[in-house]
Amino acid sequence: MNSATEDTLTIPEHVPRELVCEFDIWDEISAAGVCAHQRAARFHDELPPIFYVPKLGYLPGAWVPQKTEDLRRILRDTQTFSSQSTMPFAAMLGEHWKLIPLELDPPEHTKYRALINGLLSPNKVTAIEAAIRQHAGDLIDTFAANKRCNFNQEFADKFPTLIFLRLMGWPETEAPRFVKWTHTLVKSQDMEEVVGAVAQIRNYLMQKIQDSRANPVDDFTGYLLNSEVDGQLLTDDELLGYCFLVFIGGLDTVASSLGFHFMHLALHPEHQADLRANPDKIPIAVEELLRAYSIVNMRRIVTCDVEIRGVQMKAGDIVLISTELGNTDPEVFDDPCEVNFDRGDGNAPHMAFSFGAHRCVGSHLARRELRIALELWLQKVPVFRLAEDCNPVMRAAGVFGMDELIFEWD
Amino acid sequence: MKVVIDRNACAGHARCHELAPELFVLDDDGYIATDGFSVTTEAEKLALRSARACPERAIAIASDDKTHGQEQ
Ligand code: HEM
Repeated sequence: MNSATEDTLTIPEHVPRELVCEFDIWDEISAAGVCAHQRAARFHDELPPIFYVPKLGYLPGAWVPQKTEDLRRILRDTQTFSSQSTMPFAAMLGEHWKLIPLELDPPEHTKYRALINGLLSPNKVTAIEAAIRQHAGDLIDTFAANKRCNFNQEFADKFPTLIFLRLMGWPETEAPRFVKWTHTLVKSQDMEEVVGAVAQIRNYLMQKIQDSRANPVDDFTGYLLNSEVDGQLLTDDELLGYCFLVFIGGLDTVASSLGFHFMHLALHPEHQADLRANPDKIPIAVEELLRAYSIVNMRRIVTCDVEIRGVQMKAGDIVLISTELGNTDPEVFDDPCEVNFDRGDGNAPHMAFSFGAHRCVGSHLARRELRIALELWLQKVPVFRLAEDCNPVMRAAGVFGMDELIFEWD
Repeated sequence: MKVVIDRNACAGHARCHELAPELFVLDDDGYIATDGFSVTTEAEKLALRSARACPERAIAIASDDKTHGQEQ
């Protein structure tokens, strides 16, 4: 999406020249291919702890704090660093709904968030674990005998989509269109195409909400239809905000994480061997992979002038929260680029799912999906590697992703 | 040894519960359901690990003599 116009590149006067990063960080990271995360980690040595980028893909310029401590402080101070209007989707359609609860700040956020915590709690995830296993196993069985698979197409895109549809109570046959919409949203460079997909998703979800109102069933939407905030039932726009968010938050993120995690194992047979021999290490390995291959970059808007680490930010400034950078801070993680399943107790908590009020509500589900995928793959597929004809394409953007992953095995 | 929990700081990561489900009980929403508790000597190490695993630093450890007046 090449809509960054000249004026978005104007650097505000209060930004000191020495803090401006001269290159496009996402282009730089994308160019590093399978070493993207290692490339990003070097920003810690090359750039100031808080630097400024004049643009971010098609998004306007932003501050980029790199230190975990600063990010933690920013994420906790939701009054100064607001989540409101940080996502472009409604605006693309000239509409005013928000992603809920993502684009709300406490105390509003707390009320809306409370409605969905219970739907995705660790216990709720445990209750659907058998179904998650079934989906993962069935998918792997479709290609295990082929000695080769197109990872995104045949597995990573489908798996979270099937779980999502189940969660929403919608038919599995809808999966292809959800996969297609997700692809357009995250990969298309064509603004018109993206707006078209956003409109289609919106219309689809609104239709589902209407159907649900007409014919209430006990699913995600049905539950929300009966939920109240401050004694008021939710509006259609609010329901749309929830559904749209679970859609963009729960599909591409899991698919992308799977891509990086499995790519790592394809490139590191010693790590595969370790997990094949010690499957009980899988949960801790998933945590380490989530840290080393973080994917989410969210934004906050500064509501009043504030100084962080001696850097003056002004009301209206945008701050990028790069979980990749926060999770490779050398002050927090020894050898941050090293993937080490044995970091053990000394390992500081990572921020792949963010800190504070907006902590990923799907984190328990995501973790379980990632663990089960790994566990069943290692059971059903022998030692796998990147296919010789495979040229993975790295995509740095709001959510990082790796395309064109093809694995083979003997 | 005593575990003291700042429930306002809990963001529901549930890392403590993952490590020590018997000690760190969650409510239906997946957030911590206790303000704290005493820990037996055998469970001390586990409690310390769980405290370190909290991304929000909501779990503090106090030795018994420092916690009077904080009986939960
Ligand atoms: C590995 C996969 C995933 C990663 C890395 C991830 C990461 C994140 C991050 C970093 C945030 C915080 C955003 C912010 O602070 O602005 C977030 C929020 C959120 N995530 Fe996830 N996520 C994943 C999977 C999921 C899944 C599976 C779902 C749904 C089923 C989901 C639903 C959400 C929702 C609804 C929010 C908004 C929470 C709020 O604003 O209070 N995510 N996620």
